[in-house]
Amino acid sequence: MSRLRIGVTLRVVGVLVVMGIAVFPLYWMFVTALSSNADLFAADARLLPDFSELGVFADALADGEALTWLRNSLVIALGTTVLSIGLGIPLGYALSRFSFRGKMLTAVVLLLTQMLPEALMVVPLFALFNRFDLLDSLTGLVLANSAFVLPIVALILKGAIDGIPRELEEAGRVDGARPLTMLLRINVPLIGPSIAAAAVIAFFHAWNEYVFAVTFIYAPETQPASVGIANFIGEVGTPVQTVMAVAFMFTLPAVAFYLFAQKYVVAGMTAGAVKG
Amino acid sequence: MTLLEQRRAPRTEAGRRRSPLGSRWTPYLFLGPAAIFILLFQGVPLAQEVYLSFTRTSLLNPTNSTWVGLENYVDIFGDEDFRRTLRTTFVYVVACVAGSVGAGLLVALLLNRSFRGRGVVRALVTIPWAAPGIAVALIATWMLNPQYGIVNRFLDAVGLGVPGGAILDSSTYALPAILVTTVWQLFPLTSVVLLSALQAVPRDLLEAATMDGAGRWWTFRAVTWQVIKPTVGLLALLMTIWSIRRFELIWLMTKGGPVGSTETLVIDLYAQAFDSKQLGTAAAIGMVGVVISLIVIAGSRLVTRAAEKEGLR
Repeated sequence: MSRLRIGVTLRVVGVLVVMGIAVFPLYWMFVTALSSNADLFAADARLLPDFSELGVFADALADGEALTWLRNSLVIALGTTVLSIGLGIPLGYALSRFSFRGKMLTAVVLLLTQMLPEALMVVPLFALFNRFDLLDSLTGLVLANSAFVLPIVALILKGAIDGIPRELEEAGRVDGARPLTMLLRINVPLIGPSIAAAAVIAFFHAWNEYVFAVTFIYAPETQPASVGIANFIGEVGTPVQTVMAVAFMFTLPAVAFYLFAQKYVVAGMTAGAVKG
Repeated sequence: MTLLEQRRAPRTEAGRRRSPLGSRWTPYLFLGPAAIFILLFQGVPLAQEVYLSFTRTSLLNPTNSTWVGLENYVDIFGDEDFRRTLRTTFVYVVACVAGSVGAGLLVALLLNRSFRGRGVVRALVTIPWAAPGIAVALIATWMLNPQYGIVNRFLDAVGLGVPGGAILDSSTYALPAILVTTVWQLFPLTSVVLLSALQAVPRDLLEAATMDGAGRWWTFRAVTWQVIKPTVGLLALLMTIWSIRRFELIWLMTKGGPVGSTETLVIDLYAQAFDSKQLGTAAAIGMVGVVISLIVIAGSRLVTRAAEKEGLR
């Protein structure tokens, strides 16, 4: 009996430790944002947030710079989501429902894109965007980000369409519906959760993206939050509390959205990208 | 992986017949826009990088390339710094894979029991994976700050403090610090995927093994491990490929320093292109990374096939 007790206790302690490790850095970001200067540099660290410092969030947004960053990130992320889902649904459908020459090749190419580092593609994409006047523009970043996230989106959606019985389409066939109609009327409504998962992945891929943004954007007014926040690292002019407040506001939507959509994201990832 | 798996699967659904409706061009109409898009933004740039890797090209005058054949490759492999980069990459990747899969498995086993509040715990454990890499690099750098960082304060308090506290400025401790940060970010994904794989372990088998008096370790190896082995393999492959191409976390925390101790292939390639302005050398380094990833993928396919044949016999 006592052995069982010890086992249960160990498990509870283990769960608490894992939870603490998972949550602490983000908690610490919050605590740092809400610290007075005295606490921040005191000999003994203050482990709890000081809610009388809540004004830091308003201060961080006051000069409008951080708001511009967040708005740019939002535009890039929304654009990437729409474009990659728009291209990914038909691609996933083609891979799931048709057999055609070059299907194998398409599949292999999609997988190979998963091993191309962004840092390698930065130089040629820079040259390409330079020629088409897409540097320093949010459109350029939407295009680059979509190209990188599209294969994952397409694989998730292909997996989802694989799971829909073909019989559902048979009825449509008898009625003489065209493939596009069947895709939009029959498949798309049924794979809603997977589309949501793919959208979350595409959105936050673009929201978090850094390499392309830091290389392709010069003007402060087109800069997304990832670059703005990264510039804080190693810089000493801005108060730590302000930096952490901006970073927290940048992180919170990503975390909140994942928690909200977790079930679908995990199902989509495991179905599409991992298990197949 | 998905589609490659499917090729070996018996051809049922997708492969059975040509689409009865629509001409034989129909699939290409669905495929076309995405294919053109990927070709333009991935295919063409990759081809350009392959070409660049055989040239001497400066970032300052990129249109003016001189063909030098294999010279860049000969040069980098003759360079002691690059060989150190390869070793660092190897250590980083192996440690990331072992760390993230190992930690993920431990957490998955821990959470693979029903208890009150499990949903909340599972959700909270997802946080590191959901947090943007930039924010992770920022908070990690702050937590590791030599004077005010909580990590140093804690280490000092338990008597393990690094002299001077400058973990990220130490060629001994910077790489481990980056590794811990990377594993912290990855373990939620591996644990969630492994947790769902664990649902496939037959309960009656586990119970039977326990009834027969088998120890926990034996039960794990004989039953659980056999079921989750393919998932572990796939995760290891995914983590390997991701770790070879990981950039921002390392770049923002140390830029590859101090004295190259955290310089992986991708960091080296970026520094060559934008600090040394040598696009040819940078491209060659990138190609080495791509070829290594290809070898890893091909190798894992061979292992999977061999394992399957073993199973058939």
